[in-house]
Amino acid sequence: MSDLEDHTAFDQDDEREHEERDKREEEDDHEQPRRRKYGDDEEDEDDEEDEEDEEEEVRSGKKGKKRIKRRHKRDSAARFLDVEAEVSSDDEGDEDEGDFGNDDFIETNDHIEDDSTRRHHALLDSRRQFDEDEDKSPEQIARDLSQRYRRTAVRYTGDMNEIPQRLLMPSVHDASLWQVRVKPGKEKDIVISLMRKAIEVEHTRPLQILSAFERDSLPGMIYVEARSSQQVMQACIGLVGVYPSRGIHLVPIEEMASLLQIKKQEATVQLHSWVRIRRGKYQGDLAQVVDVDNIEEIGVRFIPRIDLNPRDDGTAGGLDAKKRKKAATGATGALRPPQRLFNFEEVVKVHGRGAVSKRNQVYVFQGDTFKDGFIEKDFKPSALITEDVNPTLDEITHFSRKTDGAVGDSMVDLSIIAEASRKQAVAVLQPGDHVEVFEGEQAGVHGVVEEISQDVVTITPVGMDIEGQKVDLPARSVRKRFKPGDHVKVMAGKNTDETGLVVSVTDNVVTFLSDMTMQEVSVFSKDLREAAEVGASTNIIGDYELHDLVQLDPQTVGVIFKTERDSFRVLDQNGQVRLVRPHQISMRRDSNRAIATDAEGHELRINDNMKEVDGEGRKGRILHIHQSFFAFLHNRDVVENGGVFVARARSLVSLAPKGSLIKLAPGADLSKMNPALVAPTGGMVGSGNMGRGPRDRLVGVDVTVIKGPHKGYNGTVKDTNGAVARVELNTGNKIISIEKAKLHRRLPNGKTEPVEGPGASWGRNNSMGPPSSVPNRTPNPYSATAGAGGRTPGWGGGRTPGWGGGRTPNPYADSRTPAWNASSRTPNPYQTPAWNASSRTPNPYAADGGRTPAWQPSSRTPNPYAANGGATPARNANTGTSSWGGATPGRNTWGSGSGSDGWGGATPASRPDWSSEVWNAPTPASAPTPATAPTPAAYTAPTPALSAFSYGTGGMGLSAPTPGVFPETPGTMNFEELGRVPYSPGEDWILDTQIKPFYNRLKVTVHDTIRAGYLEGAYENRTAVVLTASRAGEGFDQTAYVRFVDDGKGEERSIMMKYLIPFVPDTVDEEAVVIYGQRRGELVKVRQRPDGSDTIEMVVVESVGTNGAAFWECQKDWMCALTR
Amino acid sequence: MSSQNFADEEAASIPTVKTKHLRACLLCSLVMSGGEFRARGCPNCEEILQLKHSPDRISACTSVYFDGLISNIDPENSWVAKWQRTANYVRGVYAVRVKGRIPEDVEADLDARGIKYRPRDQTDAD
Repeated sequence: MSDLEDHTAFDQDDEREHEERDKREEEDDHEQPRRRKYGDDEEDEDDEEDEEDEEEEVRSGKKGKKRIKRRHKRDSAARFLDVEAEVSSDDEGDEDEGDFGNDDFIETNDHIEDDSTRRHHALLDSRRQFDEDEDKSPEQIARDLSQRYRRTAVRYTGDMNEIPQRLLMPSVHDASLWQVRVKPGKEKDIVISLMRKAIEVEHTRPLQILSAFERDSLPGMIYVEARSSQQVMQACIGLVGVYPSRGIHLVPIEEMASLLQIKKQEATVQLHSWVRIRRGKYQGDLAQVVDVDNIEEIGVRFIPRIDLNPRDDGTAGGLDAKKRKKAATGATGALRPPQRLFNFEEVVKVHGRGAVSKRNQVYVFQGDTFKDGFIEKDFKPSALITEDVNPTLDEITHFSRKTDGAVGDSMVDLSIIAEASRKQAVAVLQPGDHVEVFEGEQAGVHGVVEEISQDVVTITPVGMDIEGQKVDLPARSVRKRFKPGDHVKVMAGKNTDETGLVVSVTDNVVTFLSDMTMQEVSVFSKDLREAAEVGASTNIIGDYELHDLVQLDPQTVGVIFKTERDSFRVLDQNGQVRLVRPHQISMRRDSNRAIATDAEGHELRINDNMKEVDGEGRKGRILHIHQSFFAFLHNRDVVENGGVFVARARSLVSLAPKGSLIKLAPGADLSKMNPALVAPTGGMVGSGNMGRGPRDRLVGVDVTVIKGPHKGYNGTVKDTNGAVARVELNTGNKIISIEKAKLHRRLPNGKTEPVEGPGASWGRNNSMGPPSSVPNRTPNPYSATAGAGGRTPGWGGGRTPGWGGGRTPNPYADSRTPAWNASSRTPNPYQTPAWNASSRTPNPYAADGGRTPAWQPSSRTPNPYAANGGATPARNANTGTSSWGGATPGRNTWGSGSGSDGWGGATPASRPDWSSEVWNAPTPASAPTPATAPTPAAYTAPTPALSAFSYGTGGMGLSAPTPGVFPETPGTMNFEELGRVPYSPGEDWILDTQIKPFYNRLKVTVHDTIRAGYLEGAYENRTAVVLTASRAGEGFDQTAYVRFVDDGKGEERSIMMKYLIPFVPDTVDEEAVVIYGQRRGELVKVRQRPDGSDTIEMVVVESVGTNGAAFWECQKDWMCALTR
Repeated sequence: MSSQNFADEEAASIPTVKTKHLRACLLCSLVMSGGEFRARGCPNCEEILQLKHSPDRISACTSVYFDGLISNIDPENSWVAKWQRTANYVRGVYAVRVKGRIPEDVEADLDARGIKYRPRDQTDAD
């Protein structure tokens, strides 16, 4: 006893010495008391442990001999085997003592003297030793023993295994865990590096950290155990891939344990379960687990893919195995052979008898083992997919084919699928589901699911004694409950989205009558859900949708009128119903822009409501138009073919009568008459390259986004819808929807203008068809419909001389040129009014001929170039700068003759009055203004034109611009591109004989006198009534005698006629005289309120003169207001 | 205390970063390369597992299926080591989890010694 105590005492001394050397002395001291703090439980545990140790001690005492021998045999690693053996041989009966000696010797072998003393004791009195042992307090024995065993590092003790895990939870005295960011993928390396580093530097500057770890499921971070983040930081210095700068975060104490408890989701592979092969030749193939004895190598069985058509056709026997193998693997790269069960004969035939060997019931071929036709092979678990295998019935039946041998019993063991589906069933349960219990104590109970927590569902039973209570059940013992009459929807499986009425329920198989096919469908109840909706969600299959127009073959198109689960019913243009599958459809056709002509010659489009004129008189909405001949219509009331039927477009009439296209009624929009804007009808049908109907003017226009996230982007308008345009950005080939207000048109000169609003006039050029399309337009709709017609080729012809001759002496030509250029180059400021102003400028002098385009009332597209007439089609055709430049010379010629001869009755001074302020911009033009009398040419020229022109007379209307005009008179204009142009009357318009009758009433405005300095501009802008006028002699300025009516004084005086311009009517019911055009001289009443400063505005007027009443539209500035 | 001496002096061989075929001891979860186990055995469990020079024992008592690496730098004082019950083992790299169980004979041996076997796969719940 005493020596034992000595020994212990010595041990402690010894330890102390060690501790003095120990760097972690303090921590250790700190550690010791902490250990005691696990609470009473732990103390008890410790005691228990001690007792057990004691017991063990006793046991080992009894069976000592036997055990020690075994240990000797085993403990080959023991470093002091000899000594131990010596002791054993000394006293076999006292192996405990021997152990003691051994242990002591190991630990403190430099104190041999002491040791030998003790051994001496042992040798002397082993029996007494036993007694002493028994005399010792159990605690002491335990302490001794634990001391002893702890020091024998080679001895496995598992001394902490008795402590329940929960008692190991971290306390505040433990060091903290710190989360450190590291390079993803490098976590393991870094943890190991930390360990190495710790060992390397332990004698120099030891790391202060206690441990470090990583978890696979937490990529990009490691956890370091240390008492402060500073220590972590220091430990991380010099390690590549550690990012302490991204923060070292303290892990809350309650989360520390969880970090080490994370479990990877690992599906344990069960025998006979299904797996898939992850890679290689059999990638994705289903396999069945046949051997799970070795978790590192899972034996699976699957259908082989043996190449029975090896690329290398050399006789297999002549090739060595390696080469053949190579060839085989090479072939798999290109196309893997189909799955086929191993057939000895076939393989031998192809690969030769030598390639296959047979052992027992097993064939070996190319290193693989084949049994019952299947290949059996071991895979590492990582090479197998064990989750979400979802074997299909097909695949499984393949397996069953030979599984059960020649018996031909094709029944598959579906228990595994059933099991899997049952598991799945848990997942598909939802609170509120009606379920029934089909196994266990509560079998037969049914109720509503209240709550689901993992595998436990809480249900409220219905219709039982226990109603009202809540019952917890394992989720796998309940299944969804349906009863006949329920309307259900299939949630999963190949019948997904099928809906129907339950007709019968057998166990977990529910049979229902499909709403769609009216056939009975049986599905597992787990895949069902009660649903109110009728299977409408299958209107889309693949890319095709109900009511799509699809191309079936080059000759046939059809409309899908019914979708089934994986097929369509299609009504083709011949009225045949076909059942097609998606792959039989070559493409979907878009007939959005298609148009056709109905029985009355009106156009029809999709979504029009039409009615058959013959046959059954069916009504319907047009779904699609095919080749402008067939129309597919839909009417919900028609039962047949889902309401879809096909008709010839020519046998349809519109249900909602379309208004006559030209209605000379107030509010009528003459733009409708514009052939450019209205879809042509007659003669168009069948023309292959016909336009797709009117497109938005903006389509195709280059724009810049000026607002919003895409500001600054350039793009092209692809489509418009109300205020929104779809713009294809030049960058990134992306189409965005954007409000038009956020778009600016990009002009060739790099400037921009708004696409909407006043600036929009410009864009219309773009929308105009190219000249080539003009012939298509030939049949003017007006002639057909509203009886307008009459725009004869004379237009072009007649006008031409007017241009050529009368135009020549335009004094403005030269000066105007820059202005023109300016305005054309910078269309923005000149937008509509400006343009008008400038284009009007030459007018007074340019004779009526110059006005030509303006007369074309139908065209709302005042092409400024067109207005120029002589400016050649080149300009019309292209708004680009280049063409503009080309046109300029034309202008020069135009003006060259005029030069100095002083056309300029209209001095620049008068111009500001004429129109808006923009006017002023091009004023350099005004310089050459020596007023002269207009040459007669100016008058004569338009005359033929006027006579040829036949606008506005009842029923005559506008003529079709015949194509012939264009080629012949390039000097004129492309009618398609004409716009109305402001009219400026000639200087002596007052003298017109047609106007003369209205003297005394004719309202005029004094204009441009300030600039000319005429009468010091005193009368500028004043309104007067022409009292009388008569032509003065050659060389004199024409004057008119007027009375000023605007100030009530009634001053009368004569004013030079060139300063008098017509007073444009501006109120409703005002009387006016038409001063220009076919109806010149006619007395009219304005019937539409003129609004805006736009002088080219068309207003509806009523002829009230002797020619009889008629409503028509007249350009505002073609009239001169009359006083009452 | 003295085991700390041991720890000071001894550490398991640390696998190199690039070491493939790391194995973890099923009993103590120490991670080393297979070759290291063969050459030296498991420094913690050699007494009971007898891995040295015994590939069969190694394949039976160690596993390549483990996850989570822990560097046990100061096992005596580390809570992580305590939690993992490796506080008394040598310094070295340990696994958080090791899949599998030790062979039955070892289990029986442990049982005979009155040592509770705790599998390293975190399946025991207490």
